[in-house]
Amino acid sequence: MTATTLNGQVDPPQNIKARKGREANKAQGIRRFKWTVLSPFLALMAFILVPALLLQVFFSFFQFSIFDAGDSDSFMAYFEASEFVGLDLFIDVFRDNRFGAAIIRSLLFATGATLGCFVFGFGLALLMYRPFRGQALYYIFFILPMLTVPIVIAYTGEMILYQNGPLNDILSRLSGLRVEAQFLYKKEVALTTIMALEIWNWTPFSFIIMMAGLAALPKEPQEAAKILGASKWRIFWEIQVPLLRPVIMLALILRFLEAMAEFPKTWSLLQGGPGSATETIPVYIFLTTWQYFDISYGAALSYVVLVLMMGIVMAGIYLLRREKKSLDEMYMAKPSEG
Amino acid sequence: MSMTMTQKRNVFSVFRYFVLTIWLLIVAFPIFWMVSTSFKPDREWFSWPPVYITENATLQNYLTVWTDFNEYSTNEETKELGQYTQSLQRPWEALGNSTLIAGIATLLAVLFGSVLAYGVSRHQILSEKRMFQLLMLRMVPPIVLIAPISLWYRQIGLLDSIPGLVILYFLTSLPYAVWMSKSFIDEVPREMEHAAEILGASRWRTIWEVVLPLVRSGLVATFLFILILTWSEYLLALLLSKTDVLTLPIELSKYQGSTEGRVYGRQAALSVGITIPLVFVGLLIRKHLARGFSFGMVRR
Repeated sequence: MTATTLNGQVDPPQNIKARKGREANKAQGIRRFKWTVLSPFLALMAFILVPALLLQVFFSFFQFSIFDAGDSDSFMAYFEASEFVGLDLFIDVFRDNRFGAAIIRSLLFATGATLGCFVFGFGLALLMYRPFRGQALYYIFFILPMLTVPIVIAYTGEMILYQNGPLNDILSRLSGLRVEAQFLYKKEVALTTIMALEIWNWTPFSFIIMMAGLAALPKEPQEAAKILGASKWRIFWEIQVPLLRPVIMLALILRFLEAMAEFPKTWSLLQGGPGSATETIPVYIFLTTWQYFDISYGAALSYVVLVLMMGIVMAGIYLLRREKKSLDEMYMAKPSEG
Repeated sequence: MSMTMTQKRNVFSVFRYFVLTIWLLIVAFPIFWMVSTSFKPDREWFSWPPVYITENATLQNYLTVWTDFNEYSTNEETKELGQYTQSLQRPWEALGNSTLIAGIATLLAVLFGSVLAYGVSRHQILSEKRMFQLLMLRMVPPIVLIAPISLWYRQIGLLDSIPGLVILYFLTSLPYAVWMSKSFIDEVPREMEHAAEILGASRWRTIWEVVLPLVRSGLVATFLFILILTWSEYLLALLLSKTDVLTLPIELSKYQGSTEGRVYGRQAALSVGITIPLVFVGLLIRKHLARGFSFGMVRR
């Protein structure tokens, strides 16, 4: 590489030309780099996800069930055995009360779980973000639930909630009565019980995010307010919460989206039962496709859910993008110490 | 009557320990119960009142889960022959598969993700909008596409195979890999790269020998973080593999449906085995968990 105009001298014309050439080369190099890096990813998308999406479209317009294909194992048999039904399946989906109930259940579950995780997580973080004796030990214990496998939580939860299990024993000892509560197999409480497991599982998520957020808060505004005689309550609501807004939004949005897709605990414990008390969207799709083998109806359902979830996810991403800007500004103002 | 500052502080301190200790019990109890049940003999699994700490501690559950594969086999012939491959319980295979699938998918995701993250961080090869769109791979629930994927997988021979799961785990953990490693790469000063560039190093050499080594600890954290997620994955493993290739969470779920009814002690013993590596890994990277779960948007 030849020397350029580091010392601020005026370039002779041929140097300008050379530099322009180099810049063009550089831009081209970056473009090549970009497509080299992206190509395996795009290839995978084209080879796996795109065909799947196309199949999904096909089956949601063509009525098909595994049974129609007979004994044939070949792919083409699926197509031959299916029959064009236009929008019928989608009309069925919109008339399906069971699906409507599943949507409401999922929304209830996700909202309850998100708020539960957030309230406990933020509360604990507020109690813990200033150093005190034992802080590190509590922190380690508090993050354990999210390091366990969801399905392990489900089965361990079942052992604890079992009619002759320790929870009923503890309740019996506290109340002096023989408590035989059925936490899982009663219609009225099943969804709440799963929600409680979800909250136990993911409170650590809100907790660590809020701890990190509180640790990054600038001290000056709070100290200034204190000197001016503001109460703790006012400092919390009028200084800390507004500054924490991006972190709060992040904790809520990410948790809500994950809770909408919750499957391992709901499925492995109750498969949608008792009755249809825990039949959330993922469980309903699963039942339709893998228990009733109604591939086509499952595909139409999935499409509607895909559109619905894309809407929710895009709204979430829109909000995240907005908050990311304020977050970046926050970290810009206070460079991280780690 | 007003309290002095010190008194107030003491009251707060007591209140804090009180609340934190209650939560500690809530968090610790299920874990304690899992471990304690794993040492109980079978007559104590369902007894009333429940046994909290058994006096007849036994390793039988662990031994059975990891060595007696035909305990719940319904196939008499298999049982007699003691055939491992046809028995219901195949824990070692599941352990091997879980390690292999989670390990390979995570490694690929981190390698690919960090190079992509470098490109985004230094040359904006993906716009901010595209970066956020990438998140959709994670945020749209996999259940909506899993049926056609399984049909397609069957056609191209990826159903019930290790590569089939690796591909999907790779794709779904990519958003975490790119975003998390980008947050580490963003923090590294660029002087070294410029120096390497001026000395004539190619872009790939700069990446491999300058940038990635600088963020090594961050990439290790990213790797371990994604390993936690892929290791515990349930839905894809349940639907895309089951008979030939099974992973640990699926192996565990078999005990739920076994013909002998519930076998809490065995479940607990296997659960402990699945959980220990994750807790170990998670505590190792506890400082980076917030960054990981928030796609690098929150740092600590």
